[in-house]
Amino acid sequence: MSEAQSTGLSDVEVKARQLDLKSLDNPRAMKLYRRFDGIIILVLFTFLVLGVQIQFTLTAGDWDYWIDWRDRRWWPLVAPFSLLLFIAPFTYGIWERVRLPIMATAVTTLLCLVSWLSRYLNFYEFTHFPLSFTFPSTYIGLGILLDCALAISRSLIVSTLIGGGLFGALVYPINWSFMAPYKVPVEFNGMLMSVADMMGYQYIRTTTPEYLRIIEESTLRTFGGSVTPLTAVFSALCGMVVYAAFLWVGYKINGLDKFTKRIV
Amino acid sequence: MKRLIARKTGLTALLAGLVMVLLAGDVMAHGERAQLASMRMRTVHWFDTKVEPLNVKVGDIVTVTGKLVTSEWWPKHMPSIEETVYLNIGVPGPTFLRLHSEVNGVPMMRSTAFPLGKVYEYKTVLRARIAGRYHVHPILNVKDAGSLVDKGTWLEVAEADDGAPFVNEITTLTGETINLETYGLDGVFTWHLIWIAMGVAYLLYWLIRKELFIPRFIRIRHLGSDRANELMTKKDFVVSSLFFTVSLALILGGYLWAEHKYPITIPLQTGLVEVEPIDIPTGGLEVEVDHATYDLAGRSLSMQLQLTNNSAGPLRIGEFLTANIRFLNPDVNEGEIYEGEEMVSKDGLTVSVDTIQPGQTVDVELVASDALWEQYRMTGLIHDPDSRFAGMIFYYDENGERFFQEVGGAVLPNFF
Repeated sequence: MSEAQSTGLSDVEVKARQLDLKSLDNPRAMKLYRRFDGIIILVLFTFLVLGVQIQFTLTAGDWDYWIDWRDRRWWPLVAPFSLLLFIAPFTYGIWERVRLPIMATAVTTLLCLVSWLSRYLNFYEFTHFPLSFTFPSTYIGLGILLDCALAISRSLIVSTLIGGGLFGALVYPINWSFMAPYKVPVEFNGMLMSVADMMGYQYIRTTTPEYLRIIEESTLRTFGGSVTPLTAVFSALCGMVVYAAFLWVGYKINGLDKFTKRIV
Repeated sequence: MKRLIARKTGLTALLAGLVMVLLAGDVMAHGERAQLASMRMRTVHWFDTKVEPLNVKVGDIVTVTGKLVTSEWWPKHMPSIEETVYLNIGVPGPTFLRLHSEVNGVPMMRSTAFPLGKVYEYKTVLRARIAGRYHVHPILNVKDAGSLVDKGTWLEVAEADDGAPFVNEITTLTGETINLETYGLDGVFTWHLIWIAMGVAYLLYWLIRKELFIPRFIRIRHLGSDRANELMTKKDFVVSSLFFTVSLALILGGYLWAEHKYPITIPLQTGLVEVEPIDIPTGGLEVEVDHATYDLAGRSLSMQLQLTNNSAGPLRIGEFLTANIRFLNPDVNEGEIYEGEEMVSKDGLTVSVDTIQPGQTVDVELVASDALWEQYRMTGLIHDPDSRFAGMIFYYDENGERFFQEVGGAVLPNFF
């Protein structure tokens, strides 16, 4: 049985693929490929940075803009949800086609860089908010863990369970290293406030009143009120589910290439 | 030819855009005219708003005081102020620091609820932070409804004499005095740089290699999906394991370090505070609205009222207030106009009966007339889904003591 018969491809297509493979030994072809790779990186990363910035702003914007929004219950749930649904489809496509476990790190790093640019120009320079009140959160370490879980296991299922879980669970710990000072208590007008609450009160936001914040709104507390670890566990579970669901979305999007072939 | 026309059109559009950008002036208002007329008339009646002083330097204190009455004619199709409301201040971002705010003596760091038909006295203390000229408005943010804006007052803020960087110091309950302008930023910058370096290093490892997207795609297509993992080398495995371990160690190490350095922390604080409302002081005037008409051409609101004076002395109507516009009766001349106050019609109110004697019941026509109706887009009243008006009547006894009362009812337009 010929290769064309075994793969279901036409003879022309099989021949074209063999020529493609041979081209990898051709220095001139490789030079051309490297140029195309550069263009791919440029286009892909530009799309990623614009896409994640818009997507994250629309879904988790205020949680990332203001230090007095980052509570123990909702922010660690909303932020990974918002990021994983963007990361997963890209991860599927890039992993299936070129086996590069980079999308989570790329998205989180680009988000961090563009967030800093936005906070500096829009919030600090243009509207005079101090950076100490509006600095972005970081998710880069979580992106690395997710990508590395895929690179080590070479399995989307295992990376979903380990990487997706860690991505959800560690949002609070990764940011706590520089967020803890803002949760130091302050007394003001006879009431207990955190430094972050105090900043939210003092630095005026005309159209972002205090009640818009969603601070630990939920059902009755059990387990002695251990909000942070309980949220981490729930967020880990959500991380796995969301990542798996949107990998499936990526799989479906990936399957659309047959239409592209027909057009070509 | 077509290309030439297209080029010329494009160039003209570009120049027009440039001219528009260059000629654009400063924003001089905060939407106080934009809200639906009925919203401004039937939600909150702001009065006695005072901003002082009007010329300050960076670092100086500005006090905003005033009163408000929550309207009993609150539109039923709008979420009510009886649920959740927040006393805010309308300034361009944090050009001022809010040092203190209170309603009826209760500090207002958090949201509250205001029952309708009551009086609330508010005070906000600000500290000038950025030099400039600002239109300062008291604001109430009503949950699910939006912002209710009082009239603005212009305020000049000059640079501080010493020109030193602005400092905002507070003392925490752990005894540390901190400057909120820069507090915690060393840690923020350090940790972000560490993570950015980690992210960039990881990406560089994967992206700087001889065979990247296209060669790897060709190889995977050749190998098939079952053997595609052959592209992942042992070095990839080792480096990934290393990044995984270091990242996990940094996250957990950073967390423990912060726990050690800041052992006392609390969650973000939230919740509503309660404010005891003040009843509207009764001055003995009983008011019944017979009917009201709005004269579009004359830009005036005419109200037919039946007034009964149940007090011991004569009473005179001195002012009608609606949608932050004050219509003063020049014959009474009791209403104080504050420095820098806007939206005041000094002779805008005509009252058909000058004095209402004790025990007397009279039919009175009140006409509030001024171009301010047009200027503040109150003519939109006729387009409201619930054509009713509300406002405040201010009246005085023989000693000059002021009383006030809300009036409201249906309003019919007069088109001719």
